[in-house]
Amino acid sequence: MLLVTPAAGALQILAYAIAVTVLILVYAYTFGWIERKLIAKMQLRHGPTTTGKYGMLQNLADFIKLLSKEHTVPRNADKLLLLASLPLLLSISIFLILLLPLSPSLSGANLSLGLLAVFVVLSFMPLIIFVNGFGSSNKFAEISAQRSMIMLLSYEIPLLLVIASAALLANSYNISGIVSSQSGRWFLISMPIGFVAFFIAMLAELERSPLDLREADSELIAGWLTDISAPYYSLALFLDYTRMFFGSLVIAILFLGGWQGPVLPPLVWLLLKAALISLAVIVVRATMVRMRLDRLLRLGWLALLPLALLNLIITYILFVA
Amino acid sequence: MTVTRINIGPIHPSTHGVLRLVVDLDGDTIVNVEPHVGFLHRGVEKLVETRMYMQCPPYMEKLDYVAPMSYDEAYVSVIEKAQGIEVKERAMYVRTVMLELERIASHLLWLGSMSNDLGQFFTLFMWAFRDRDTVLRLLEEAAGGRMFYVNMRLGGVVKDIPDGFAEKASAALQQVEKHTHEYEVYLEKNPVFNERMKGVGVLSRELAISLGVTGPVLRGSGVSYDVRKNNPYYVYDKLNFRMQTRRDGDSFGRYMVRLLEIRESIRLVREALRKMPAGDAIGMPIRLVMPIPKNMTAVTNRELPRGECMMYLVADKQRPYRLSIRAPNFINLSAIGEMAKGHHTADLFTILGSLDIVMGDVDR
Repeated sequence: MLLVTPAAGALQILAYAIAVTVLILVYAYTFGWIERKLIAKMQLRHGPTTTGKYGMLQNLADFIKLLSKEHTVPRNADKLLLLASLPLLLSISIFLILLLPLSPSLSGANLSLGLLAVFVVLSFMPLIIFVNGFGSSNKFAEISAQRSMIMLLSYEIPLLLVIASAALLANSYNISGIVSSQSGRWFLISMPIGFVAFFIAMLAELERSPLDLREADSELIAGWLTDISAPYYSLALFLDYTRMFFGSLVIAILFLGGWQGPVLPPLVWLLLKAALISLAVIVVRATMVRMRLDRLLRLGWLALLPLALLNLIITYILFVA
Repeated sequence: MTVTRINIGPIHPSTHGVLRLVVDLDGDTIVNVEPHVGFLHRGVEKLVETRMYMQCPPYMEKLDYVAPMSYDEAYVSVIEKAQGIEVKERAMYVRTVMLELERIASHLLWLGSMSNDLGQFFTLFMWAFRDRDTVLRLLEEAAGGRMFYVNMRLGGVVKDIPDGFAEKASAALQQVEKHTHEYEVYLEKNPVFNERMKGVGVLSRELAISLGVTGPVLRGSGVSYDVRKNNPYYVYDKLNFRMQTRRDGDSFGRYMVRLLEIRESIRLVREALRKMPAGDAIGMPIRLVMPIPKNMTAVTNRELPRGECMMYLVADKQRPYRLSIRAPNFINLSAIGEMAKGHHTADLFTILGSLDIVMGDVDR
């Protein structure tokens, strides 16, 4: 176990970052496989079976295949914007997970405004997607970028309002503080309305079906990823699972009591809870029909925002005032 | 107003083959849609002019590869009409059963691909394919093929349905009926599905008639026109057949018509199997096909799963001098411009999906 104290050196932080990145890789790989198998089960298929035991090596094979394919950049594309965005997005999402403490003793940075910092960094991601969409000089990517911007406000404000109510409950923006204040009662029980609003807004943030309008494959081919060639697309797939891991961790920390739980070590509890949320996200993906942009805006402004506000008011009246 | 022109297709996940749509967008609103067809053009109408009459059915089946036997039957019927051949009593029932089974299989495939177009990740698609497979297995047992059957001969069929087919079909179709009900509940209880289908791509009654669309698209707009009812062939007038129409004219209306037609076809298959007389259903061997007098013409129209198909034959002794096909999909597709105008970009794929086009038939 790594103990990060203010006195710890940069080397220790680096070691922690590498350890967390390995954890993310393991998570991404496992859930890449679980998603395939689970959706296959829901769809009366088998999913991958032959590559490795239960097809567990299929994702590795696919990764190698993607790497071995030709790398191309469209002639009219802005090469820098197109190629820099995916590594940038990936590093941001890894950085986001580094900002989250994974157990009382395991954290990259225990900031007093930690939760707020996380969401400030998170809001960079749609901007980079926007820039990427315009950089690729593909009209589908451009439409995707426009959608990304239009959607942005409709789900970010409810997201932040729910965070505000969580901070109100815990009387702190510090993530460890939020987790420790859930020792008696999970925030899921304190603010169920907030949980619903947060989960839906998070689906939009994570680009997950049914709110994956940026990447809408039956409409925009692959949205902002349309012109990304195979080697870089493997980064996009990794990014997908990194973001899902981040989203699941945040929901587990905010609503499911974080790393608190009996018997098992704190990190295991947190990962179990995050896995549960990820499974829910996967099941939703296989069941729902994609929303339309105008309906998503309506959902954001006329349902999520009032719900988040209601949640804030109820939280204030019940638990603070 | 700045108009963006985007090219959708010919390679795109939701164009059902190789359709190219040139779409003018104002923001997220569709200003104009122009379908460009012909990527799958194989010159079948010209090709059959070089073939003898009964060499043509395999080409006909490849036109609409989702419901091949119905095209096969439409072609054979025009030859029969030109030759003045009467179809055997039992063969009429066998053909009706086959055609209705094809309709069920075709509509099930449509249901699956429609949900895919709406952005669902293949779940309903796979479920619908399970039931399509049930129906295809029945067809395989009866006609000997899964995709292409070439089961029609002049005056009858190649293979009569086997013994015990009625019981097997009844059990299998019961399963299909049950599952169809499940899909209906699954979709219609979903508010997102409802709001994406209802009021999207409205085709008014007048417009539908003036554009010449047929099949479920026309009946979804409230026009009571079904060749099986208006110009009955085979035993449709002897069976208790109810035409399905909806007045809405939107994508949901077309969806409802197709689902109701699955039920209706299941009922028709059961009834036809029950009323089927004993006897011979085997058609005339190919070597006995007689030449048709030069310049003799014949026309038949048939209700395919996707609309009305009309075959116009001008004979030239051993082979067609000209065979003109009124392809239902080609005409249904031409309505997309009127239907999509003013809708959101995402609705274009709902509308395209609800038209249920097969590019093989559009391009011929």
